[in-house]
Amino acid sequence: MTEHTPVPAIPTGKGADRPPEERGIARDKVRLLVSSPTEDRAYTFTDLADLLHPGDLVIVNESGTLPASLPARSELGQFRVNLSTPYGGDLWVGEPRWGFGRPGPLPLDAGTSIEVGGVPCTLIAGFPGIPRLVFLRADGDLHGAMNRVGTPIRYGYAAGEYPLEDYQTVFARVPGSAEMPSAARPFSRSLVERLRQNGVAIAPIVLHAGVSSLEMGDFPPGGIPVFPEPFEVPTETVSAILRTRSAGGRVIAVGTTVVRALESATDACGLRPVRGFTRLYLRPERPVRSIDGLITGFHEAQSTHLALLSAFVGMERLRRAYGAAAQDGFLWHEFGDSHLILAGPADPAAVRPGGDLYFESPARVRNA
Amino acid sequence: MTDDGPHDRVALVTGASRGLGAVLAQFLARQGYSVIVNARNREALSTATAEIAESGGFVFPVPGDVSDPETQDALAKAVSRWGHLELLINNASELGPSPLPELSALAPADLERILRVNVLAPLTLTQRLLPALRKGRGRIVNISSDAAVGGYPGWGGYGASKAALDLLSLTMAHELTGSPISVVSVDPGDMRTEMHQAAYPGQDISDRPLPEITLPFWAWLLNQDPAQLSGHRFRAQSDRWEVPEP
Repeated sequence: MTEHTPVPAIPTGKGADRPPEERGIARDKVRLLVSSPTEDRAYTFTDLADLLHPGDLVIVNESGTLPASLPARSELGQFRVNLSTPYGGDLWVGEPRWGFGRPGPLPLDAGTSIEVGGVPCTLIAGFPGIPRLVFLRADGDLHGAMNRVGTPIRYGYAAGEYPLEDYQTVFARVPGSAEMPSAARPFSRSLVERLRQNGVAIAPIVLHAGVSSLEMGDFPPGGIPVFPEPFEVPTETVSAILRTRSAGGRVIAVGTTVVRALESATDACGLRPVRGFTRLYLRPERPVRSIDGLITGFHEAQSTHLALLSAFVGMERLRRAYGAAAQDGFLWHEFGDSHLILAGPADPAAVRPGGDLYFESPARVRNA
Repeated sequence: MTDDGPHDRVALVTGASRGLGAVLAQFLARQGYSVIVNARNREALSTATAEIAESGGFVFPVPGDVSDPETQDALAKAVSRWGHLELLINNASELGPSPLPELSALAPADLERILRVNVLAPLTLTQRLLPALRKGRGRIVNISSDAAVGGYPGWGGYGASKAALDLLSLTMAHELTGSPISVVSVDPGDMRTEMHQAAYPGQDISDRPLPEITLPFWAWLLNQDPAQLSGHRFRAQSDRWEVPEP
């Protein structure tokens, strides 16, 4: 194992192949594993109302999911383009794929004309370091095309085609994500209301997630496995976080997109409002300090999400939690079960001299 | 290649025959810019020009040393074909002697040459093109370097020139506040280019990324509101590109 590749032998459970509603479970009744420094315990997601305390602050991503997968064709024939990120003007980053379950890269040269959802586009350039992504220049309105013929991006493991509503969270306000910021999917309006009544505050960020890293093998060794995504951490959210901290409350992020946004808004001077693009890659060598807890799904080994989680609580705790989850039948993927990971005082037993995966817990860094 | 065509956005890139400049010129041409390209090396420039033209872009080559007034005349004349300029990328740079001498050994003539190409030329070319830039609501991008702030041994002459260019960018941005013209400076970061190789002759620089690594940054930068960015310095390979607070 090299120091920049946190590829652990970590358990992986069964993947959910359909939304919980399709399995006869309300979206807020998926299972919730709560991992504290000392133990992993199984709950139901609605138990969150009691697990969070008055004075805690929950940070959510208000990005909404787009119907970003479009039928496409060129001289190559028919395929799909999953639109990932708008760069403004007529410029997009997209992922040409043979089909929902069949990734690229496709043999498309720069300069090639491609019709995407009926809109003539030109392939401007390959995306540096990520062969499956390309820059596209659109001679027409791709947002309009998405609304006409786009479907939510899905992968081979999905049992069927589900409507866009199944890919929206209750917090979605600003459309812009190629794929659902799925950690917030289990939240229902009634659960949000209960949390508020219990004195738990909610504050937003926006990070428009591009196409996911489900096929990490595509990234060349040494390349940065994260590409730039638009984000904004507003002034009001920064104020809410500072207020929460000074009152002794916990900051709980919902989703890895929230963690990336908050860490991208943190520099030597602390947290501040920021708007722009981030390609920050959070990994064990770049610890996470901005949060006390994280609600997220269960992620596949070798994903950048897992690198981020290990940057938060260390690989030992993650391995323990994933072992418990897999054994107990928790479900992986965006329609699966949920995981609340709480930071805590560092466990001295976890210190392995010379170990490359252990790092100080955020709490200890903050109290120092 | 001699027809003006229907293209209505014009970009001028100096030092466009190789490295970052060539990559940028191609990227802009594919986005529909008419691109005026300049470089000293006539042969390399004509190769780069042909590559852009082959992929369907409109490109107009102007060979010559950008610090030479006659080259600047020719560039101004090329721009006058359109009468407006949307983007000026002052990219051509003089590294100085290879291998890089420490300041104790930097010959005055070498420093003069570095300053003439990296500081004077971008300023005088920009001065000449201001009317066209005004008409095109133009963006001026001055290519800087981490050497402008690094104090790296050997990079003193080049770094000082880029520090000076950074200050010209900032000052001109302030002077042009309220005008339709914006000015930014960009540190593209370490890249595997001939210039970088010249700085480290004989050394293996294959761990540096190719200039294409910066394309997402340029895609971002050139689609932001220029007035909001004017007067700021950006690092193309940083983890975050931030829109400055007004």
